[in-house]
Amino acid sequence: MDCGTCETSSPVQLMTPEVVNVNLSISNKAQEMLSDAFGDDRSMALLVGVLSGGCSGYMYDLQIVEETDQSCQEITVDGFKVLVPNASSHLLDGIEIDYVDRLMGGGFKINNPNAESSCGCGESFS
Amino acid sequence: MPLVAYPDAALTIWQGKDALQFIDGLSTNKMVDMMKGQLVQTVFTSSQAKIIDFVTVFHMGEVLAVQCHQSKLQNLLNHVLPRILGQDVTITDVTERNQFAVEYEVKNEHVGTFISVNNVTYGRTESNLNIVIASKENTLQHSGTIAEFDAWRIENLVPWNNHEITIKNHPLAAGLSKFVHPAKGCYIGQEILARMVSRGRQGKNLVRCKNSEVDDKLITTRGEIYSLGIVRAIQ
Repeated sequence: MDCGTCETSSPVQLMTPEVVNVNLSISNKAQEMLSDAFGDDRSMALLVGVLSGGCSGYMYDLQIVEETDQSCQEITVDGFKVLVPNASSHLLDGIEIDYVDRLMGGGFKINNPNAESSCGCGESFS
Repeated sequence: MPLVAYPDAALTIWQGKDALQFIDGLSTNKMVDMMKGQLVQTVFTSSQAKIIDFVTVFHMGEVLAVQCHQSKLQNLLNHVLPRILGQDVTITDVTERNQFAVEYEVKNEHVGTFISVNNVTYGRTESNLNIVIASKENTLQHSGTIAEFDAWRIENLVPWNNHEITIKNHPLAAGLSKFVHPAKGCYIGQEILARMVSRGRQGKNLVRCKNSEVDDKLITTRGEIYSLGIVRAIQ
């Protein structure tokens, strides 16, 4: 097998989507829960990203981080510092971060106007 | 052991720290536990659980070599490239540097591993089948014909690319059930496949059948007396 890794094989061209300036909102309930999670330390940021996988092909990724090595745009929403990776900005423009308070299937939810479909658990979309 | 050409095969190299997890998240088999020297076969499926491509992943250490198919490569790339997003995954097509063959009627003890000898890699995909990938500088001595290989496939109920393994079929119907991991979590098409399994209704099955006993249009690999066909399962 010749992997071509020792020589210069050019990688398959990625279809890089245009970076979008993201607007997003956070519901009142989600703000309450984020306030509990952040406490008084607002130096931390909420990273809202997208990973591949899940039933529908894309999965939301929510993390509270100090910093990230991803190329991100930083926005402030209702007093919270939010980081959105540029690579997935086209999938996240216009989303609402909500919090659903119930015993099963509860937690943070993303309402995404860009999603054509999403799986039952709400973590994955296409 | 007969060695026949595998002309539709393609080879891509997937690099980056997220490559294995990336394939795992988009295909039917469990990949994340793979170690260097192992190979795992998996199916990329559409949202309707139809086959985009059936691939063999060779864990080379630093990189993953993914043997796929030329006729399906563009669809596969269209499926995966938009989903790389910010992940550390780079895909390179090195098909032109390699030649491909299948060796059958072998006796493999270490199925799921591969060895490389003088730039020829033998992927032990089954106890009786190797996928052979060689640098173009090597000479592979073919010792069988496609027709003979097809006859062997019919005898052993082995599905193959562009016969049973097509975009029209889902992996369970195409005889690829063992490459659909029952408990690996979500991937595109997983809900449909899981529902078929849990309800015992996969619709169609790959079978070996007598030519005179099956409708011509259901035959996927035709033999002289017996053929392979994908027929609706009897519930």
